[in-house]
Amino acid sequence: MAERIHFPSQSCKEYEQDLVLYYYGELGEGELHRTEAHLQACDSCRQTLESLRSLLPLTVKEDHPPQSFWDNYSRELRGKLDQVEVKVSWWDRIVSLIRSWPVPVAATAIVILLALTLTLNRTLRRPEQAPPVNEEIFEILRIADDVEFYKNLDLLDSMDMLEVPGAFSNGSESA
Amino acid sequence: MENTGPLEFKDDQLVGLAKSGDRKAFEMLVERYKQKAYQIAFHHIRDREEAKDISQEAFLRAFTQLKRFDLRSSFYTWFYRILVNLCIDYQRRSRRFIWQPLEEKENQEGGNPMTSENPTSPDQHLSAEEMSRRVAVTLKELPPNQRKAFILRNHEGLSIREIAEVMRSAEGTIKVHLHRAVMALRRDLAEFE
Repeated sequence: MAERIHFPSQSCKEYEQDLVLYYYGELGEGELHRTEAHLQACDSCRQTLESLRSLLPLTVKEDHPPQSFWDNYSRELRGKLDQVEVKVSWWDRIVSLIRSWPVPVAATAIVILLALTLTLNRTLRRPEQAPPVNEEIFEILRIADDVEFYKNLDLLDSMDMLEVPGAFSNGSESA
Repeated sequence: MENTGPLEFKDDQLVGLAKSGDRKAFEMLVERYKQKAYQIAFHHIRDREEAKDISQEAFLRAFTQLKRFDLRSSFYTWFYRILVNLCIDYQRRSRRFIWQPLEEKENQEGGNPMTSENPTSPDQHLSAEEMSRRVAVTLKELPPNQRKAFILRNHEGLSIREIAEVMRSAEGTIKVHLHRAVMALRRDLAEFE
């Protein structure tokens, strides 16, 4: 006989768990035979089993609400399901739309992405690569100024020649 | 354990229909399991309104998560897991969680009989009331896994294998939880034997 413990009806400790499982009908075939054989030989384990049979059913307390409670329960739950279904259906609609049109959606997304990339790229790179329009104009203007300058120089040169005494008379005098 | 309704649809069939958007199929599952769901919640919470809310919340979660349910376990196992976890979460976070003896609640609610026993003499009534209080206190003080295993087996009649599925534990572990819970009750209720 196994060691006894201090619980109310002093069952054998090694059979304690098996007695609980026996009560609930949860023993396998081998354990069942072993436990039944032990019960035939052990008064205290039989008493323990009897106490389980009398005690455990008393621990179950069912609540029995009236029919109106159940009617209300179903009505309330249908209302809550309606709310949940609306939320779910919006999301489902979006997801199903995406799922049913994968190729067009992907193609559109790629086109939009490419367009955005090109636009942004052009916008960002324009200041660096833009042709130096102002510089060209200034260069042309500078050349134009130079032409005017040289023209003025030629004119002044001609005037100087007129003013030099004997510039022409030397020749005439000598002639 | 799987129930069939008046139309003889099995749970799996109803789940399949509900997954394809048949709301009525889901409502049939609700009608099939609402009383069990409520009783489980009530055994954990012992408050009629709260038990109703928690069990309804479990159905709502099942409804929104149904598309992710892969039918590897039965519907009720999957659903009980949602429900029991909600009950445990509620108990953990609720400051109002007070295990009140059922007889006290009856008196407060006008004497509507809520228990299976019907004591006749004042002594018997006192004894039943005291026992109910002691059961409530003992269950409350049990570790959550022991309480869960005990309620699912003792109150709901689930098998050890089913409880192991619901609690995602080994069957051996569930047997130990159940054994310890029963021993705690026997110890605390020895005088009622």
